This record gives sequence, C-alpha cells and structure tokens, in this order.
Amino acid sequence: MNPQLLQLICFYAFGFVTAAAALSVITLKNSVHAVLALVLTFFSAACLWLLLEAEFLALALIVVYVGAVMVLFLFVVMMLDIDQEKLREGFVKFLPVGLIVAAVMLVEMLGLIGVRAMQAKVMGADPALAAGMSNNTEWLGHALYTKFLLPFEIAALILTVGIVAAVALTLRERRDARYESASQQVKVNPRDRVRIVKMAAVRPDEPTAPQEPQP
Amino acid sequence: MPTLNDILILLPEFYLVGAACVLLLADAFMRPAQRPWLHWISIAVLLVAIYLVIAGQPPQAVTAFGGMFVRDDVAEILKVFALGTTAMVFVYARPYLIDRKLVSGEFYTLMIFAVLGIMLLVSAGNLVTVYLGLELLSLSSYALVALNRDAKLPPEAAIKYFVLGALASGMLLYGMSMVYGASGMGGTPTLDLAQLHNVMSYTTAPTLLLFGLVFMVVGVGFKLGAAPFHMWIPDVYQGAPTPVTTFIASGSKLAAFGMAYRLLDAGMGDLSQHWQLMLAVLAVVSLAIGNLVAIVQTNLKRMLAYSTISHMGYLLLGLSAAGPEGYAAAMFYAICYALMGVAAFGVMLALTRAGFECEEIADLKGLNQKSPWMAFLMLLAMFSLAGVPPLFGFWAKVLVLEAAIHANMLWLAIVGIVFAIIGLYYYLYVVKVMYFDEPVAGSELRVQPDKPLRMVLSLNALSLLVLGLYWGPLLGWCRRAFGL
Amino acid sequence: MISLAHYIVLGAVLFCIAVAGMFINRKNVIVLLMSIELMLLAVNMNFVAFSRFLGDVAGQVFVFFILTVAAAEAAIGLAILVLLFRTRSTINIADIDSMKG
Repeated sequence: MNPQLLQLICFYAFGFVTAAAALSVITLKNSVHAVLALVLTFFSAACLWLLLEAEFLALALIVVYVGAVMVLFLFVVMMLDIDQEKLREGFVKFLPVGLIVAAVMLVEMLGLIGVRAMQAKVMGADPALAAGMSNNTEWLGHALYTKFLLPFEIAALILTVGIVAAVALTLRERRDARYESASQQVKVNPRDRVRIVKMAAVRPDEPTAPQEPQP
Repeated sequence: MPTLNDILILLPEFYLVGAACVLLLADAFMRPAQRPWLHWISIAVLLVAIYLVIAGQPPQAVTAFGGMFVRDDVAEILKVFALGTTAMVFVYARPYLIDRKLVSGEFYTLMIFAVLGIMLLVSAGNLVTVYLGLELLSLSSYALVALNRDAKLPPEAAIKYFVLGALASGMLLYGMSMVYGASGMGGTPTLDLAQLHNVMSYTTAPTLLLFGLVFMVVGVGFKLGAAPFHMWIPDVYQGAPTPVTTFIASGSKLAAFGMAYRLLDAGMGDLSQHWQLMLAVLAVVSLAIGNLVAIVQTNLKRMLAYSTISHMGYLLLGLSAAGPEGYAAAMFYAICYALMGVAAFGVMLALTRAGFECEEIADLKGLNQKSPWMAFLMLLAMFSLAGVPPLFGFWAKVLVLEAAIHANMLWLAIVGIVFAIIGLYYYLYVVKVMYFDEPVAGSELRVQPDKPLRMVLSLNALSLLVLGLYWGPLLGWCRRAFGL
Repeated sequence: MISLAHYIVLGAVLFCIAVAGMFINRKNVIVLLMSIELMLLAVNMNFVAFSRFLGDVAGQVFVFFILTVAAAEAAIGLAILVLLFRTRSTINIADIDSMKG
C-alpha cells in the first residue's frame, strides 16, 4: 500500500475520532462519561501528533493530560455529588442555537484562514533530522534549554504557584472532626499533663473525703 | 547561552523569585505569633525590588535571553508603579487581613508572584514570554480572589474570573498560533515580537495574520476588561476580598496596558491601521457601558468596577491613536488610574472593620461628620476619577483626548468628552452622600486606627492633587520612554 | 497526501466545538472547564502542525509550555470548584447569582 495513502487514511480515522469524541464531551449527559470522552479526544489527538512526527509532545499529551489532568478531573467529578439533571436545564434550548452558531463560525473561519494556500504545504523531511538532531526529543530539548531557557524557568514558577494555590485553597483544618497531630503529641510537656501532688499519709481506719480525680 | 549579563538584566526578577521562595519557607517554619512579621518583610521586599529596578536602569533598551526579555524605559516605569502600588496594597490590607484572620504566607507569596508576572509581562519580547507572564499573573490572581474561602462570595467570583480568564487565554493563544503560522508563510516562522513586526510585508497569507490579530485583540480586551468583554469585572471586584480587588484595579491594569503595548505595537505595529479601529470600537462600547451602568449601582465596589470599564475605554482611546504620543498618554492614564484606584479602595479598606464591610455607597453616609479627613481623601479620589481639574485624573483624560484628536479621531474624542460629563454624576453622588447626608443612626462607621495605613493613604490621595499640579515630570518620563 | 490544511481545519473544528460547548453548557462548570481544555487542544494542534510543516521548533516548544500551564491551570480551577461546592453545595452557574447589578 502507498505509505502516503496509509497516512491519509490514518489521519481521517484519528481525526474523525477526535472530532466525534470532542462533540460527545459537550453533549453527553453524564459528566463521568464526558471526562472519558475527553480522554479519548486527547488520545486520538496524540495519535495525530505521532503522524506529524512530534513524538515527544504526543507522549507528553498522554502522560500529562490523560495520566494526570484527566484523572484529576475524574476524581473531582466523582468526589462532588452533582445533580446531573439540574445541570442539564436549558441544554436542549441552547443546543440547536449553539450548534448552528458553531457551524457558521467554522465556515467563516475556514474562509478566513485560507485553506487553499495551506493545501500546497505538504510534509517535507523530518525537521529534526534536517536540523542535525537525531530525533524529535533532542530537537525540542535543545531549543528548550538554549533559546527558551527563560520561559522554561517561568514555567517552573507557574507550577510553583499552582501548588501553593491549590494547597492554600483546599487544605483546611476541620473543626468538626477529631484527628491526631503527631507533632503536637511529640511536643507535649509532661508537666502540662500530670500533676504530682504530695500529701500526708493517712491511716486506713480514718474515713476521708474521696479524692478528686486528677485531670 | 545566557551570560552573567543576561542575569544582571533580570536581577530584579531573580531577586523577587528568591524573596518569594524565602517568604514561603519562612511562613512554614514561623510560629503563629511571628506571622505579623511577614507583612513588614513583604513590604521591604517590594521596596528593595523598586530600588533594584531603578538602580539597574540601562541607558538604552537592552534585551536578554535571546530577545525573550526586553528591558526598556516603558517596562521600567510600569514595573516601578506596579511594585509601588502593590506595596501600598500591602499597607492598606493589614488591618483587613488581621480582622479576617487571613494573615498568611500564601497571601504575600501569591501577591509577589503576581507582581513578578506583571514584571515579566511588561518586559516580554516574545509571544511565549507574553503568555507565560500573563498566566503567572492570572493564576495567582484567581487563587487570591478565592483566598477568603469561608465567605460565600469569593469562590463564586473566583470561578467566574477563572472560566472567563481561561477563555480569554484560549482566544489569545489561538490568535498567536495563527500569527505564528502566517509568519511562516513566505518566510521563517517566528514568535519573536521584534521579528513579527514586519511580517505583513512578506507574508503570503495576510488574511491569516489579520485573523490571528482579531483573536489577539479579543484576548487583550478581555484582560483589560474592556466592554463587551467586561462580564467578569463587576463580579470579581465585588466578590474578591477588598485588598485583592485593589490589586486587580491597580497593578493588573498596568500589566494589561503593558501587554497591549507589547503585542500590538512591538509585535503587530505594521497592522496598526487594522487594530486601531477595533480598539476604537472597544473604547466607545466601554465608555458607554461603563459610565451608564455605573449610575444605577448601589454597591460601591460594583460602581468602581463599572468605572474601571469606562477608564479602560479612555486608556484604549490613547492606545488606538497608535503612535508614541498616544502610547505615552495611555501609559500616563494607566499610572494615573492605578494611583486613583488604590486611593479609592484604600479609603474603603480604612473604613472596613471586623464584622463590617464598607462596600455599599449608603455605608458612607455622613462620613464627613465622623471623619472629615477620610471624607476629604475620598473626595480627592472621586474628583480625580471623575476628571475634575486640577486633579491628576483631569490631565490624564486631557492627554488621551488630545492624542485621539492628533490621530484624526475627533469623533472618538467627542464621545470621550460626552461620557466624561455623564460619568461626573455617579462620582459626585458619592461625594454628596459623604458630605450632605446625615449619618445613619447607630452606624458603626469608624476609621481603622492603623497608623501606617492612615499615613500612606493620606500621601496617596494627596499625591493625586500634587501630581495634578505638577504633572510635568511624570509626563516627561512617559514621553521619553516612547522616544518623544 | 496530508497537507497543512488538514490539521488546521481539524484545529478549527475543535475550536468551534469548544466554543459551542461553552455556549450550550453554560450551567455546568465541569463541562466549561473541559471545553477550555478542548480549546487549548485546538491551539496545540495548530502549533504542532505549523511547526512540523514549516520546519520550525518554536511551535512545538510553545505547545510544551501550554501543556505545562494547562496542568497548573486545571489544578487551580478544580481547587476553586471544590471550594465552591463546599460553600454552596452546587456547581450550577444558574444558582450562583449572589451578585447582581
């Protein structure tokens, strides 16, 4: 089989799955199903990127997006007890209008983008090889650590902000639940807890008032 | 490869990163009783950063990290004022944070990261740095809005801010991808703003470039809060804790101006005739919606939010003049607005106490009898926002209108004047409530006893008067930055 | 033969689906967040395609950063969502109308 034809068939197959899965993300009734549809969208998009010989990003998309971000989504959707029916109110009303708007927008965008000129651009040799690198990852890594070093550092800061913000927003000490604090238990001073009281010895035959229990 | 020189150019930014990390660690190891120290340390951190920015000012524009970062006078001025207004926000925020038990390292660290985002954004020399600086600022802001998490409104405001902000980023990115593609049609594709400047002259896909430009203008409009992309502004202003609102009204606006300038002039300067008209339309819509809707507001924070939208209209008026004079006027306006916004919200913070949020206009009834000095400071802020001569706000308005007229957009200037007169109404209404209404019986209106707050706030509001009388040096500084 | 147009059209399709998703699901915050992810995917598709067909590495580097930022963004967005659910017991935007004017 002609490899170019095979590529084209693969593109249409994965492209169709990507678009169909994306459509179901926004139309599915159940939020969990929608998240799973989004996983499929990302997965087939990653396959499309493999066709483009962007191997590193294709794998990063699966590892970072499907592996981390979508699992986080799934986790939150399942953790929150959401009334699915109420959220669907107005859905049927907006659906036709929304689809028509999207279709019109798509036609207009395609007109403006200038599809005809782009059809002339076909895939040349792998640019990574042309740049003298052995593969896509090396090509990307080389650019990342030389020309794009400053953005790389800023991206690290953004991840720091992500951690600080997520912890600051969701970590809370529940006042209605009992829990043990190990550090407080270790830090405790015996003198705060036990009081040793010296008292005179008493004879057993003399009845005395009952001792108050020590706290 | 980066050299020592590159690092020296970015010294203020690197310093702030280090300081933010130290603050974060200090917060983790501090005993609760020592927390209040964080406040003074953070202010000191910002003041040192201002010193580093001014002391390291290069004689002419320099770039670092292969054009990723540009350090020129425009960036220097915006950074000084962004750092300065944020330090003021810290001073004003102290009593509010203590009363609401929000004094935490996260507040200060996130604020410093947000300022860092502003500094990187206004110095960006590449689409990648624009995007990352913007996201550093936005992500910190989303979290700051939601920081008072036990209250009802902040999470709502934060989710609205987040969804619309992320949508704006998506639009901006889509535009950037188109611009990137257009720059590669008939030439080498590039993300560098300086190289994008003359894409129009060689590209074989000019419509693609314009298409990308439209999306980028939409993204910039969102971030500025210009109508019709203003939906988030009123809710965020009202729902966010007041210190965060103050920051969004001051530092973020300077950043939005810087971003618009970098993207539109440095990057898309060749297309100015195209974006000029788009910005003019945004300006007119913002002026109309901002000023008309502000009239019916009863909540002071919401009213100031709509007033922000109208002020962004004036700022866009200057930008749409698309020339050094217009940019200088717009930057002057952005600085002026930042100082006025900090002063107006500062008075609200000074009147807010534990269990009492001063945020309805009616809360100010009879302020003059309770505290004539606070009423006077608020009067200065309101008159300046309204553009009453001889205050600072008046000259800022005059300059942008003048720039619009010189750019042959007389109609735009006339619209601006008409709405300035309409806008007078709601600012004067606040003044009327303060001076001519009787205090509500049993009203708990009292001024915070915090000394630093009172002192800095007084200086801040009086500066509106002083700069209104001696605006020459600041304007000269702005004009020199654009080579005038 | 695959051309640049194929990928850019697919990007445009994804972008329009994302916009439609925000329009028809304006009440469900989770679907709104997922629509934003779809929009970023459309952007990434454009950048990767331009990068490959025009032979320039910058586009793919940009995608790398967009993925990084989107991960941090999702974390913060979901944190705010959890916070919202705690205070209101709903994520329905229609119920979130304490602020008007």
